[in-house]
Amino acid sequence: MTQLRAAVDIGGTFTDVQVLDVPTGRIWDHKVPTTPSDPAIGLIDGLQGAVAKRGFGVDAIGMILHGSTIATNAVLERKLPKGGLITTAGFSDVLAIGRHMRKDIYALKAEPRTVLIPAAQRIGVSERIRADGSVETPLDRDDIRRAGEALAADGVTAVAVMFLHAYQNPMHEIEAAKILADIPGLTVATSHETSPEMREFERASTTVLNALLKPVISDYLQRVEAALSQAGVTAPLYLVQSNGGVAIPAEAARLPVRLLLSGPSGGAMAVRSIAARHGLENAVGMDMGGTSTDICVLQGGRIEETAGGDVAGLPVRLPMIEIHTIGAGGGSVARAATGALRVGPESAGAAPGPACYLRGGSEPTVTDANLHLGLIDAGVFLGGGMKLGAAEAADAIGSVAGDLDLDQTELASGVVAVANSAMADAVRLSLFEKGADPAAFTLMAFGGAGGLHACAVAEDLNVSRVLFPATASTLSARGILETDIRHDLTEAQLMIADANAAPVLDDIIQRLTARAQNLLDADGIDEAHREIHFAADMRYRGQAWEITTEWPGASSCAASGALAALISRFHALHQQRYAHSSPAEPAEIVALRARVVGLLDHVETSDETEAATDTGSTRRVYHRGAWQDAPTLPRAALGDVAAPGPMIIEEAYSSLWIHPGWTARTLAGGDIIAERAT
Amino acid sequence: MTTLTPITQEVIRNALIAGAEEMTATIWRTSRSTVVRETLDFSTAHFDACGRAVAQAARIPVHLNSMSVCLEDIIAGAIPLDQWRDGDVIVTNDPYSGGQHLPDLVAFRPVFIDGARVAISAAIVHHVDVGGGAAGSYYAGATEVYNEGLRLPPIKLVEAGVPNRAVLDIINRNSREPAMIAGDVQAQLASLEVGAQAIHRICARFGGDMLAEAMDAILNQSEAAMRAVLADLPDGVYRFTDFVDDDGQDAVDLVIAATVEIRGERAIVDLSESADQAPGPVNCTLNMARSGVYCALLSMGGGDVMANSGAYRPIDITARAGSIVSCNAPAPVANRMATGHRVVTTVLGALAQAAPTRVPAAYYGVSYVMALSAPDPLMPDESRVYFEIEVGGWGGHPDGPGADGFSCGFHNAANSPIEMCEILFPITFTEYAFIQGSGGAGKHPGGMGLAREWRLDAEKGRVSGSFERFRHGPYGLGGGAPGSRGRFLHMQGSEVRELPGKISNVALGRGDRVRLETSGGGGWGPVPSE
Repeated sequence: MTQLRAAVDIGGTFTDVQVLDVPTGRIWDHKVPTTPSDPAIGLIDGLQGAVAKRGFGVDAIGMILHGSTIATNAVLERKLPKGGLITTAGFSDVLAIGRHMRKDIYALKAEPRTVLIPAAQRIGVSERIRADGSVETPLDRDDIRRAGEALAADGVTAVAVMFLHAYQNPMHEIEAAKILADIPGLTVATSHETSPEMREFERASTTVLNALLKPVISDYLQRVEAALSQAGVTAPLYLVQSNGGVAIPAEAARLPVRLLLSGPSGGAMAVRSIAARHGLENAVGMDMGGTSTDICVLQGGRIEETAGGDVAGLPVRLPMIEIHTIGAGGGSVARAATGALRVGPESAGAAPGPACYLRGGSEPTVTDANLHLGLIDAGVFLGGGMKLGAAEAADAIGSVAGDLDLDQTELASGVVAVANSAMADAVRLSLFEKGADPAAFTLMAFGGAGGLHACAVAEDLNVSRVLFPATASTLSARGILETDIRHDLTEAQLMIADANAAPVLDDIIQRLTARAQNLLDADGIDEAHREIHFAADMRYRGQAWEITTEWPGASSCAASGALAALISRFHALHQQRYAHSSPAEPAEIVALRARVVGLLDHVETSDETEAATDTGSTRRVYHRGAWQDAPTLPRAALGDVAAPGPMIIEEAYSSLWIHPGWTARTLAGGDIIAERAT
Repeated sequence: MTTLTPITQEVIRNALIAGAEEMTATIWRTSRSTVVRETLDFSTAHFDACGRAVAQAARIPVHLNSMSVCLEDIIAGAIPLDQWRDGDVIVTNDPYSGGQHLPDLVAFRPVFIDGARVAISAAIVHHVDVGGGAAGSYYAGATEVYNEGLRLPPIKLVEAGVPNRAVLDIINRNSREPAMIAGDVQAQLASLEVGAQAIHRICARFGGDMLAEAMDAILNQSEAAMRAVLADLPDGVYRFTDFVDDDGQDAVDLVIAATVEIRGERAIVDLSESADQAPGPVNCTLNMARSGVYCALLSMGGGDVMANSGAYRPIDITARAGSIVSCNAPAPVANRMATGHRVVTTVLGALAQAAPTRVPAAYYGVSYVMALSAPDPLMPDESRVYFEIEVGGWGGHPDGPGADGFSCGFHNAANSPIEMCEILFPITFTEYAFIQGSGGAGKHPGGMGLAREWRLDAEKGRVSGSFERFRHGPYGLGGGAPGSRGRFLHMQGSEVRELPGKISNVALGRGDRVRLETSGGGGWGPVPSE
């Protein structure tokens, strides 16, 4: 029987697997080393090991959901094929010109900028579409053929096509792609298919990434599918995208750019499913690792999304889960700057790492400070897998403490306080942009260092609940396990949102619906499991950025009064986010979006945890200016009755620090909640 | 707890910057005009209770370093601090009351806790049009500030929480883009409210006294960091001269001269030998010139010096009243960036002698500002102002070549997406590209400049522009060649006309094309012989 659903998340070091037994709702996890030369080996190992844990064979797997950083790593490490870019004549430099703004405003040397296609492989061809979609210059078919042949002769294998206003009228791009497809050895990506949105640089960047990733991801998927079939796994495979949903392999190979930035989306989806398990509508995910902290927001039961992001400074204009990353992590380095203390954004990373890792690091980090304050046990770090040097940490801390006239403990406590405030500031900014009040949110903390800092960050934000998910060390896989198939469709058309717009909108909705149904047909999703949600990107005339406004009600007919409801919803959202609105002023619709969901079956789940007992041990920790004894217990020993802090809860790969004034208890399903006494 | 530790100081510093970032997010997301929303021509900051700049969002050097001198002028003159009340917003755009030029509206809001002023939030926004002789208020023909548009002395635009509707109406009525400026002013005011909330939050946690102490300490820390940067430079007197092309009228080759003396931990910068103030609008007030000097010296510290009033303390600046870097009223100032950028490149040229391994050859050194007034494609009865800022190449650096087409130096501007411009304005672009060979030759060549060309698709339009480096290319250093000179072309059919660097209200007809070519950066070091 194919009763198991497996989620596999391939990271740089470990391949994490979570398995759901659908009939019982039980979930368990498994971890194996990643095999960088061929990640498919680790994937098969992980699957086999995970199902064997409960006596199953791989033939019991009915569905595999797969997340990986392969697309992101290919870009970061430039393991990409030789690419070419064909644009409207006169605009082949747009990709390299970018948007001009610099981050480091007083630098005498320009910050490095990446251009994936050099000038020699960027070619303009004769064609021009106007802003309204009409044709000014017809496509010169010979020109495009010559460009394609020249690129092929130059050894280019992946070609991106970006014509101006192709989001409005894709005719020339479609024609160009047909001509290029006849040239042997070229893979082609067009901008209207990849990212049908206004702003030529961002669209070109996204399209180039898509073109370059196509061969990479196709090869990878072929290898994975071959390995799976060789291992006797017949279950269908789905790939995790940056929008938090999954796609079938054919779709992932067509739009591989959607796999970029999918890494943190697993964590965000876990925030959603764990919040749902406990009936929470609003939560902030804080994933604190070695070099950085990723922040995501769940509001009204939905993970907040954004219209685009970037990878290594290269814009990716696609709907994706909104992740704010700040340079505060366990490895963030503390230093004295002419009498002031700075923490991060420089990180000691994994090498040399914090001073206490004994790998040659001599600068004090947040992890060294936590060790010095008693919050990390030098003996059981990473489940006892790694010995830490307390003396080395103290030396490193001492060097900076001396510069600032502080003793070691004051400095260590200060480093942690500064890191905490940086994280709280970042969370506050994330919520600020949505007009949300932190006090209405639950903080969900995970990642290697999240558990130690969560209570402090919550106190700073005036948040009174912190949730620590079970199986936090394989949490990304956990999120993937409960996701759905997802497509994002967009049709751009600028219009004033008034009665005249209704028939136009109805036409667009009809077209989007037809496209959505075709995609879901290809996914093999039946009628009962289909959802199509519409939204309009809206703004006041002249504003730069739009608010994605959900289409009201189930009806997708603009004439039925839904349009009026949509418009008033836009004014209300504007008021909420920006503290002002102008209901008398006409709103503009820039684009209509369809969020197309193929629901995978979901069941009520619970995480399996192993039993453990409280041995009654304590540890000396430094908190709020004084050393005190904190009871220390293994995670599984915490019961379902609220126990008061201070308390340190030990997990295999991290620790939770429950402050005095807080209580903690284990919830159904295995998660822990900490609550601030009122 | 009552004494400030370096830890609390850092926590408060982070919170002040985060608050300024929240203000930035507010303006960015709610503003209307392309100049604000796409070119991002605005900045935000927090000041202490006495009006000293403490913390800023990383935005635009010219704004950030001039807001503090503007506030000094306001409180020393028109509206002393004891007249600032809770809920007030004090604004000005008057160059002769601390402002820069008329489109830049500076707004300050005091923040009170329990009746005591604890801080001031500030936002400066470049508004799309405040009237005057040409679209975008860049009127090259101006001979007095009176020609340049609406001039607002320091005034309470909001008094005790009540907006002064009359003044808002006056602002709107004087603009070619009343709806745009109304929306952008609203975004600016909303950001001050957000800034005030951030200050309230900090005070709720630490108290007003602790905030004051932390702000003092942050200023002292910046001062110490700047002193360390200056102490690192060899003592000596370094001189450099550069040129502003022209004033758009009769004056050409206007000298900008800097003598920079490094003496221990101090810098004494004398601009007195610069040219007399010009009849045309390229003049800088002393505040503006000071901002340029601060920008050059802050860049010697890289990211290590937090830019604020503390960092300015070890820097003395003198200039001659009535000169182009310290003009007297009512000299016109709209195109003051022509001279402002030149102050930066001149001071950097002097500092290159003190630190030859760190200072690059000249960047393009101009905000290429262009404004077109033409009918709205959707509503032909209404006219629209299309405003954009372009950039050029960076100078070659002792360590490597200069960057191609990238914001540098005194400003930090984004370009406007071509597709968005074509939707909003009756224009069609014909080219946007690097200009090959425009970077100055050298061991490390300068970066390339840009060509941006479009065609007018309406019956008529008028174009104005403020450009520089059309006569004097950006200098090379150490034997490197200068970068290319820029050009502005007006093309009617096959006829090509090269226009001067400062123009206003040049009439365009349907099908006319205009082409801006920006400078490449200067080269660094001699070209190696083969």
